[in-house]
Amino acid sequence: MKTISRVFWLLISCTFLFPLYWMITMSFKSKAEAYSNPYGIPHNWDWGNFGDALSQYHFFKYLQNSFIYTIGTIVVTLAAGSMLAYCLSRMQWRFSAMTLFYVSLGLIVPIEVVLIPLFQLVKLLHIKDSYLGLVLPYSGFAIASCVLMLYAFLRSLPKELEEAACMDGANVYQTFQKIILPIIMPALVTQCVLLFMRIWNEFPLAFVIASKDDFRPLTVGLLDFFVSVGVSDWGLIGASMLLSSLPTIIVYMLGNEKIENALTAGAILK
Amino acid sequence: MNKYYSTKMSIFVFAAPALLLFTVFCVYPLFPEIWMSLHNHDGFRNLGFVGLDNYKDMLSSSSFWLAHKNTYLIVGISVLIGLPLSLMLALFMDVQNPRFRRIFKTSAMFPAILSVTVVSQIWVSFYDPNWGLFNTILKSIGLESWTHSWLTERKTVMPSIGLSFLWQYIGLNAMLFYAGIKTIPKNYYEAALIDGANFVQVCIRITIPLLQDITKYVLILSTLGSMAFYAQVRVMTAGGPGDTSRTVVYQMYYTAFGTSEFGKGTAIAVIFILECLLISFLIQRFVAREKLEF
Repeated sequence: MKTISRVFWLLISCTFLFPLYWMITMSFKSKAEAYSNPYGIPHNWDWGNFGDALSQYHFFKYLQNSFIYTIGTIVVTLAAGSMLAYCLSRMQWRFSAMTLFYVSLGLIVPIEVVLIPLFQLVKLLHIKDSYLGLVLPYSGFAIASCVLMLYAFLRSLPKELEEAACMDGANVYQTFQKIILPIIMPALVTQCVLLFMRIWNEFPLAFVIASKDDFRPLTVGLLDFFVSVGVSDWGLIGASMLLSSLPTIIVYMLGNEKIENALTAGAILK
Repeated sequence: MNKYYSTKMSIFVFAAPALLLFTVFCVYPLFPEIWMSLHNHDGFRNLGFVGLDNYKDMLSSSSFWLAHKNTYLIVGISVLIGLPLSLMLALFMDVQNPRFRRIFKTSAMFPAILSVTVVSQIWVSFYDPNWGLFNTILKSIGLESWTHSWLTERKTVMPSIGLSFLWQYIGLNAMLFYAGIKTIPKNYYEAALIDGANFVQVCIRITIPLLQDITKYVLILSTLGSMAFYAQVRVMTAGGPGDTSRTVVYQMYYTAFGTSEFGKGTAIAVIFILECLLISFLIQRFVAREKLEF
């Protein structure tokens, strides 16, 4: 009985991993073999697809863009978000509760529904064909969940450390930088992972705003490449997919436990 | 200390950047959205105030309702099929030994870390009528008559896209449920085991009821996530055949950028925002209203 259930669960695991296998084997198949042998191990391992993909598909440019968008958004969101979270949890001011409520409204509206006015806004601010055109909207939409999570984390911390710093004559900026930031580092790392997963794979807004090839991230650039190749050369498509997925696959292999904890932290932290 | 730190200046410095970003990019766009939906707007110029005409046009167009049908089909698939399946995966994960669970978790989460573009394109190949995985399997077991050109037939296109979506996020949702299961104190189970309850009884009587907070969280995530369903359609069918597989967000996008009717596009968006608000409100109001304390 135990063996049967083991086999069953291994089969399910394989279902999740099969596309990875398919993507890898496909990228080593020639155009003809892709059709004659779409699911088996390649008869002759053909590295040519990767060369072709790298010459036709602007992989490194898209990769660089994806990194800039992701890292830019993480830096802006964490900097602004942690400051606001600190301000809401520690400082005394009249509109503190109202502000917290106001920010939490940001969780309800999906970014997709304001696609059109965001597009207009980004044009109006003259940041459409620049990295800021995506980094700023992404950050604006990421602020809500970031602030709420850091706020909950800060609320659970004792205030003694800051009081000591205050006695020693540190001002609020020094205290924040030297005391608070190191303490909330675990929460910041979690946010970092969440933001990475979210922004690296974001599609709808990037598709609309990054219309110039020079500013496209991997998700959009890859779709464009599929359209230009058509559905005739699956080996080439497989190679470009594998190249584009490698960064996330590597990150996942290195820290899957951390990623898993980060992804589930939001669910149990409340 | 709090008084000493809470000067007007420091509050402003700490609160302003985030509030500015949030207000400008997340809240402010709602106003031009409503304004544009009341005008005849082509994306560059305002061609005059038309009142509620855009709304009337949209509510009486068949594409609008087809897009709704498709969107809510995806919501239905992910809530009615996706949630129970991922909960089951999580329950079984819980009773496996740690090493086996590790392997299972790593592979189940894997699809969720890939980008939508990659996953959708993989499924495009699986649905290929000639050499795709599904037709190959069906042919090899002699069910030739069940084969379809999955993504170009009106009847099969939406469920097919839905299946790929289900596959991509089911593992991630299972992880969320599993994280919830781990927070349930062990002594609840010990009591049940002493009473001689079996695995299924324990799941139904103890685990699932105690998971209500997490269930609500996953429910909100997957409902709102599938309401905004768009990228998969873009990659797999571009809304086709015809307008058969357009979702609401796709229809909104197409109306604005495809036909330059920004007024009508934003009217769809405003209606849809109200639907999102209503659904979040209903979930908050009727699902798991009281928080559990262990």
